[in-house]
Amino acid sequence: MTQETQVIRQIVEGDIESFRLIVERYERPIARMIRNIINNRESYEDIAQDVFFAAYRKLASFDPARSNFSTWLFTIARNKSINALRKKRPLSMSELPQNSDRHNPSDELAERDFFDKLDAGLEALPSAQKRAFVLAEFEELSYEDIAQIEGIRIGTVKSRINRAKKELAKALKEIRYEK
Amino acid sequence: MKSEEIYNAWKERKSQIDIRENFSDELMNQIYRYESEKRKPLFNGLRLIELISAHRFVKAAVVTAGAVTGFVRIMFVVYAFLAC
Repeated sequence: MTQETQVIRQIVEGDIESFRLIVERYERPIARMIRNIINNRESYEDIAQDVFFAAYRKLASFDPARSNFSTWLFTIARNKSINALRKKRPLSMSELPQNSDRHNPSDELAERDFFDKLDAGLEALPSAQKRAFVLAEFEELSYEDIAQIEGIRIGTVKSRINRAKKELAKALKEIRYEK
Repeated sequence: MKSEEIYNAWKERKSQIDIRENFSDELMNQIYRYESEKRKPLFNGLRLIELISAHRFVKAAVVTAGAVTGFVRIMFVVYAFLAC
């Protein structure tokens, strides 16, 4: 039995405070995944709290024989992110990221401009591609884990990630072209 | 900057995350509140009153049940009076 499974058993048996160990271990990856998927700097922490609260309530139903705890937790986070995206109002033109001054020679501004383009490229990806890309690139999860989280085949995960990378490479090429 | 360098720098930036300091405290408080609510008995007098006053339909059902009971009771009295 892994240490994590043991902690989970303690929590299910009534040791509520042990859940703090789980929260402290996963708060950053879960919050980061949500922020990178929903692209909302205000609410990702609240959604992450919802994820942990839902995980706590469902903890007794977690079956270590079926999946890793992290995969199970990321699946809850994935579902909450999808719900948040459905509720999210579209950005108005004034809220969209603005291009920085192209005439400014400062490297820092140019770098910010690159990042804005890549952010916009990521934001423009279809939701399923974006999730697969975020889980693979920023959370560094295996294709198997992503397939389990998304409930799809490994081949589909690979093709979603490849398509996402191609789109972002296109955004990068446009930057080079504009410069 | 080369494309790969830009991409890696962007990835590095996207991998950074700020979490408020009291994140886990807030969550644990929420969980403790949830547990204490769960452990409350489902029906004691005060909880029943709370339940009735919080839901429009429950309130209407209680008033209707009271009115029906009162009406039946009056009918019994009238019936007993007439039977004498």
